[in-house]
Amino acid sequence: MPDDASQFLLPFLEARREGLYARAFDAFLDPIVPVPRAILSHAHADHAVDGHALLWATPSTVALYRRRHPDWNGAAVELAYGEPWERDGARLRLVSAGHVLGSAQVRFETDRDSLLYTGDFKLRPARTVPPVESPPSAALVLETTFGLPVFRFPPREELERRIVAVCREAIAEGETPVLLAYALGKAQETAAILTEAGIPTVLHGAAWKLLPEYAAAGTALPLSRAYETGPPQAGEALITPPSTSRTPMVRAIRRRRVVYLSGWAIRDASRSELDADVLIPMSDHADFEDLRRHVRQVGADRVVTFHGFARDFARLLPGDGVAAAPLLEREERPPEDP
Amino acid sequence: MTPYRLLAETLESVAGTRGKLAKIERLARALSALENGELELAARFLSGSPFAEHEETTTSVGWATVARAAASVTGWDEETLHACAVAIGDLGEAVSLLSAAPSGEGMTIGQADAFFRGLSASRTAAEKRRLLEEMLRRSSPVEAKYLLKTLSGGLRIGADLTTVEEAIAEAFGRNREAVARAHRDCGDIGETAVAASENRLEQIRFRLFHPIAFMLASPIETAEEVADELPEFAVEDKFDGIRAHAHKEGGRVALFSRTLDEVTPQFPEIAAALAALEGTFLLDGEIVAWQRERPASFFKLQRRLGRKSPEEALLAEVPAAFIAYDCLATGERPLFEAPWRERRSELERIAAGRGLRISEVFSAESPAALEDLFERARARGNEGLMLKRRDSAYQAGKRGRAWRKWKKALATLDVVVTAVEQGHGKRAGMLSDYTFAVKDGERFVNIGKAYSGLTDEEIRRMGAEFRKITVGRYGPVRAVEPRVVIEVAFDTLQRSSRHKSGFALRFPRIVRVRTDKGVADIATLEEVEQLYARLTGEAQQTPD
Repeated sequence: MPDDASQFLLPFLEARREGLYARAFDAFLDPIVPVPRAILSHAHADHAVDGHALLWATPSTVALYRRRHPDWNGAAVELAYGEPWERDGARLRLVSAGHVLGSAQVRFETDRDSLLYTGDFKLRPARTVPPVESPPSAALVLETTFGLPVFRFPPREELERRIVAVCREAIAEGETPVLLAYALGKAQETAAILTEAGIPTVLHGAAWKLLPEYAAAGTALPLSRAYETGPPQAGEALITPPSTSRTPMVRAIRRRRVVYLSGWAIRDASRSELDADVLIPMSDHADFEDLRRHVRQVGADRVVTFHGFARDFARLLPGDGVAAAPLLEREERPPEDP
Repeated sequence: MTPYRLLAETLESVAGTRGKLAKIERLARALSALENGELELAARFLSGSPFAEHEETTTSVGWATVARAAASVTGWDEETLHACAVAIGDLGEAVSLLSAAPSGEGMTIGQADAFFRGLSASRTAAEKRRLLEEMLRRSSPVEAKYLLKTLSGGLRIGADLTTVEEAIAEAFGRNREAVARAHRDCGDIGETAVAASENRLEQIRFRLFHPIAFMLASPIETAEEVADELPEFAVEDKFDGIRAHAHKEGGRVALFSRTLDEVTPQFPEIAAALAALEGTFLLDGEIVAWQRERPASFFKLQRRLGRKSPEEALLAEVPAAFIAYDCLATGERPLFEAPWRERRSELERIAAGRGLRISEVFSAESPAALEDLFERARARGNEGLMLKRRDSAYQAGKRGRAWRKWKKALATLDVVVTAVEQGHGKRAGMLSDYTFAVKDGERFVNIGKAYSGLTDEEIRRMGAEFRKITVGRYGPVRAVEPRVVIEVAFDTLQRSSRHKSGFALRFPRIVRVRTDKGVADIATLEEVEQLYARLTGEAQQTPD
């Protein structure tokens, strides 16, 4: 029930039309419309809309936000992971979310209570993002994009092996691997995996333009080049967003093996939806088991779920003194896996 | 004793490759390793059918029974199973994702057959559920996935019966046409596979009383499209009923519908009339509602559909008739390969003076003459025209250019989408079925539902939009904010209690998304009333 969710959010947050509002900081968390003061968990488009007057985020997120919104003329305050911000009797700090470069969870506390807002997160380690943290908190606002038990992803090592193997096999058979991966996060992570395997990559412009931020954070991709410098040659793999799977750019590659990298790739139907040959469920979100694990590790006794299968996850979260409620009545599935 | 797992893994690998040749090659590899009984079953299972097509056997397992069994085996409640099936787009796939690590010892191909037959023989849902639970306990995820997909009637792996026919030809080095012919004549892909492996396809003789795929027609939009071919075409009215094959030998008659289901008990008067004729034959034709010595509208016939044994009163009120327009076998002799011209004269021979209704055949020398025939067909209350090349064979199951159909949309309406649902088959997981409404004052009243005629790309884009404006979910149906305006074409407009508007559209199809229009621009119920009055008025004025 939404009423429970509202109760669980107190005293730190209120659900408003623009998004979750943190009263003590007079700011919205990942608001869906431009606001005077915003705290951004990460730079994906559905969390970081253009036009905020003033925003708080990690240095990487601020840099990525500027890169993606070159005409933005607001102001930003950089908050490093762990750096405290105190206002109106409450404290706030950003902690790593493990989702994409710069991604943060937002932890609130007073002397008596605490709340962790996850933004988007994953528990599995990755090459291009620092490991996630699970700071003990009394309340947890949990993103449940994959909050159904069918979403159980294979171990990271297996997924990486499959990515490398399918690229090598395609190249050996004279085909160009085309990896459908979201432009911020998945694309660079995939390029890093392939770089380590010695496979050169060609990146779509949307992913390529973010590389300076990745380089600044220590991810070098010496075997990557921009698609602008020419289509992939024999032996190279193309990394491009899922939305481009039916564009002339991809179709021009006559001998191609299209690999969809996303949690949604666990559905056979995504093969025909994206015209893909190979489905590899590599996600930047927590799967069902990891969602439960995060709840346990944080040790929250009140959980508010949002995004994806929020209602189902809240219903399935076992008792043990944990109460859960979905934030939104409306279930939404994002078109991609940002 | 080959494990069913090998077939399941073959199906999984066929699903995972796009190329038609690669699919055929993988199916062929699985088939060529088998013989006799196992081969027979494997060919059926690989084509997604638990039984031979000619068997009047069904597993009759409902979604709810499968969900209940899966709930008990996986430990997840039914509500979660339902949510998972909707999220994944397929129940079998969802169950396999919920199944724990490879568990039981699996099944042999023969045991899978026994499982399907056990389901068919069991009379109660409880018994079916027990069999399902037992199967799920002993199956690995990939086996469970394909056994359940087989039960749901669609494997969705991008391979159809024709692909399996080609795989059989490839596996045993036989001619593709010979395999297809044998399959059509015996109505069992399994028997066909065994005959192919033993190099005796030619010994398969045509048999009556098993469903045979229908030859289909490609649509045309204008008379000019076929101007050059006109002299080759025989022209018939296109009847507004349901297509059926009538098998007849002695006093025995069987009617099969387009879905290859037997519908004989639904139409006792047709069965009786055909049984009274002399001879043995297989006819293709149309079941129509029959009133005032001519076919009545499909809406009349609809009252007869789905009723296993219609009552006397309904039979009297809505009598049905069979109009034959093709003859596919007479005596023991199949006529599929014979040209239409020859099949037609057989049909006329059977009909001569013996109370079998057959279509009237016209010719049109020019597009103008074809237009004229079209108008006359419409004036007789029929849908449009069928054009059949006089020199063409009967290509069962194929939609070719030897047959053409010409209908014209009656009109189009701008309507607003009020609910969406996931499609089936290739469009599983996509929100492709739309329910739509017209305006009645400030309210929206539904007037129809259509499977999207949009491209996959458009459906995907619209799907993302619909997910954003979802206001409620009722099982698989999402109610959406009435915002998206579409233009639908339809063939007729009829009063109906099925939708709140009090009207129903026949053959509604989505012409385009009207991003240029808002909800304020959609049709009103009043306009629909006026359109109806105009159409029925016109219909009364047309000469009989």
